[in-house]
Amino acid sequence: MVADTGKTLRPDSIKPVNLPEPLQVEESPAGLPTFVRLKRRQKIIAVEDCWRIDDEWWRSEPVSRLYYAVILASGQRIVLSKNLIDGSWYRQTY
Amino acid sequence: MKILCVLLPHFPINCEKLRHNDLTARPLIITVAAGSQKLVLDYSPELKNLQREMPLQQALSLQAEAEIIHADIQYYCSVFNGILDSLEKRSPLVEGADLGDIYIGLDGLQMIYENDAALVKAVRAAVPSVFDARIGIAEDKFPAYLAAWHSSPGSYKTLTGDIAAFLNDLTCDLLPVSLKSKEKLHSFGLHKLGQIAALTPGPLQAQFGPEGIRIRELANGHDDTPLYPRLTEETIEESTTLSSMTASLDVIMVSIEAMLSRAFVRFEPKGMGIRSVHLWTRTWLREHWEKNIQFKEPALNTKTAISRIRLIIENSPQPGPIEQLGMKITGLGRPNGRQKSLLTDVRAKDNLLDDVRQLEFRLGGTQLYKIKEIEPWSRIPERRYALIPLSQ
Repeated sequence: MVADTGKTLRPDSIKPVNLPEPLQVEESPAGLPTFVRLKRRQKIIAVEDCWRIDDEWWRSEPVSRLYYAVILASGQRIVLSKNLIDGSWYRQTY
Repeated sequence: MKILCVLLPHFPINCEKLRHNDLTARPLIITVAAGSQKLVLDYSPELKNLQREMPLQQALSLQAEAEIIHADIQYYCSVFNGILDSLEKRSPLVEGADLGDIYIGLDGLQMIYENDAALVKAVRAAVPSVFDARIGIAEDKFPAYLAAWHSSPGSYKTLTGDIAAFLNDLTCDLLPVSLKSKEKLHSFGLHKLGQIAALTPGPLQAQFGPEGIRIRELANGHDDTPLYPRLTEETIEESTTLSSMTASLDVIMVSIEAMLSRAFVRFEPKGMGIRSVHLWTRTWLREHWEKNIQFKEPALNTKTAISRIRLIIENSPQPGPIEQLGMKITGLGRPNGRQKSLLTDVRAKDNLLDDVRQLEFRLGGTQLYKIKEIEPWSRIPERRYALIPLSQ
């Protein structure tokens, strides 16, 4: 049993984690990511995985994203997501 | 308990004369600020019709030629403490009630000193002769004070048995009550202690409240105020004189930091911190400013102490450009100890929460969070976890 601290949990005292970070991504004519700008512009040499999430379609801002697990020229592996509603790109951490 | 009172009349004036020989023959008034008003702290004995706590304006209207000096309370206190230290070698029960008023408990001293005269001789030897100590002995503090007041220089007076006759004709100005109460007594036509002693308690209580009962008891020679011997406490004092007067907060803070660093060198290796700092400054016009700063937890280094001191200094304006500043560090101590348990997990969480709350109190706002699962099954990554304050 957790002891009651007597404090009220306020909505503003909760912080989200793993929020998508906006990112600049260059796409090929087919819509695949080719270059990504982190600290510098880097080429994407391989797309390891790709999946799509469509959720919360009943809300005013539904979630529709296309995720790519990619390998950069530096060897780094990152996960990118494209918001299919407005076309913006994000980096996703888990 | 038998009590000996040592009175050092005009103590602040004598302190000034001790420090500046050229002031000896000049009529002086020492003033102290009380809010926006300046009051008389002390005056040269040759200036008649003056009283302590009298407004300076009123004092000057009576003694226009007097020279005015701003009180250097820090200096008077250091001289007074020196005298008390010296007296503590004669008796362990020494109380410095007010600047220049000392009470000594005599219980057990008859084993060391064969009679009162020998004891008085030892006490007198502990006080510098410039202060012209007057000594009285009685059963309570107030009668001992009156005895000292009426003793002749170089001698002493003892009050024993029925002292009503002695008190009868004494002026009520000798009562250890506020100037306002004394003025009120005079306005009722009560000028002598005998007049007050003859009254029933009712009228006095009606006019003066709880103080009325005390006034009557004192006028009858009864004083139940206990003797409060000095508590021995390790203190560290540092002071500095600035090369030029300044009102700059940055310069003041640099000087305070330097003094703190010097002080910390003395006790930091012992793992001790400071719980209380008494800061004082003196302006170029010799105005005195002082402030007590307390720490909830002992400050273990200069950086911790200075952040709190800065906050206080910023909110307490100085009376003018500063020439001298100093500090008295008291309450040296170690951080709170915690009893260890054989079962280490017991109370570990409580202790951690205590530390977190302490940190939040000091730094303001939430400082530490924990990760909590919100919707671990969600396909949307940012919906799975959230950070919530650790103290909640």
